[in-house]
Amino acid sequence: MKVEVGDSIPSWTMDRVTPERMKTVAAILRDPTPIHWDRDVTRAIGFDGRLLNQSPINLGYVINMLITWAGPECVRRIRTEFPLPVLDGDCVTAGGVVKAIETQEGVDVAECEVWLDRDDGTRTVQARAWVAIAKEGVTG
Amino acid sequence: MQRLVGHRFSGGQYKIEHWENFLLSEATGIEPLPDSLAHPVHLFHVPINGVGTSIAELFALAEVDRASPVSIDYYDWSIHTPIREGETYSLSGGITAYERKEKAGSPTVDSFIYEIDVAGKDGELAAQVAFRWHYWRVES
Repeated sequence: MKVEVGDSIPSWTMDRVTPERMKTVAAILRDPTPIHWDRDVTRAIGFDGRLLNQSPINLGYVINMLITWAGPECVRRIRTEFPLPVLDGDCVTAGGVVKAIETQEGVDVAECEVWLDRDDGTRTVQARAWVAIAKEGVTG
Repeated sequence: MQRLVGHRFSGGQYKIEHWENFLLSEATGIEPLPDSLAHPVHLFHVPINGVGTSIAELFALAEVDRASPVSIDYYDWSIHTPIREGETYSLSGGITAYERKEKAGSPTVDSFIYEIDVAGKDGELAAQVAFRWHYWRVES
C-alpha cells in the first residue's frame, strides 16, 4: 500500500443501522440512556420514534474503515466530534483523506481527516485520526 | 458543579472477555479482529466501567434528570499498545475540567471533561482516553 498526502481512504458502509444491535450495545456498555431502546422517549424528543445509535458505534464504523485500509493495529489516536446522531434504519458511510504524513518513533503515521455521513449527505461524525502505515508504503 | 473538578474515580481493573469483543465487533459490522485484538471501540466503556464508575453514575454526579439531554462534545483516544481480549487492564482517572455556558434564550449547558489512563499488566500505559460530555439543563 502506497500512501501520499491527498489520498482518499477507501470508504466503508453500514447498510442499515439496526435497533437490535443498539440493544446489544446498550447492555455491553451498561448504558441506561433510553434513547437507544425506547421509541416513546425518542418520539417525545423529536426523533419521530426512531432510536439513536450509540456514538462509540458511530465512531466504530469509522475505525472499521481505517483498519480495513491500514490493518487491525493501525489506529494510534483519534479525536472525534459528533455533530448529528445516527438513527435506526440509516445507511451511513465512512470516508477520509490523508492530510499529512510524519514519522513518530520510527513509524510513519498518516494524519487523516475522517468522517461518517448519512446517505443524504449529512455528517454525523467528524474526526481526526493518526494511523500507522507501513514504512515502505509511504511515497513523496 | 465546579466542586467535581479533581474528583478521582476509585480505580480498578477490567478484562475484555471474548464474548464481549465478539458482540461489540459484530455490532460495528465486522468480524472480531485477529490475534485476540479487541476492537478499539472498547475504549469507550472499558475505561468508564473499569475505573470504577458507570454511565449512570456519571449522569448522577452531574445531577442529570430524565428531562435533561446529554450530548457528546468529543472523544480523544490515544492508543500506545493495541488493546487485547483476555488481558487485564488497570484503570485510573477522574474529572479534570468543568465549564458552564449560559446564553439568553438557550438552555444552560454544563460540560465536563473526564480523563482515564489504561495500563497493561506491566504497568505501561496502553491507552489514554479523554471525553467531554454536555449536560443540557432543560426545565422539566
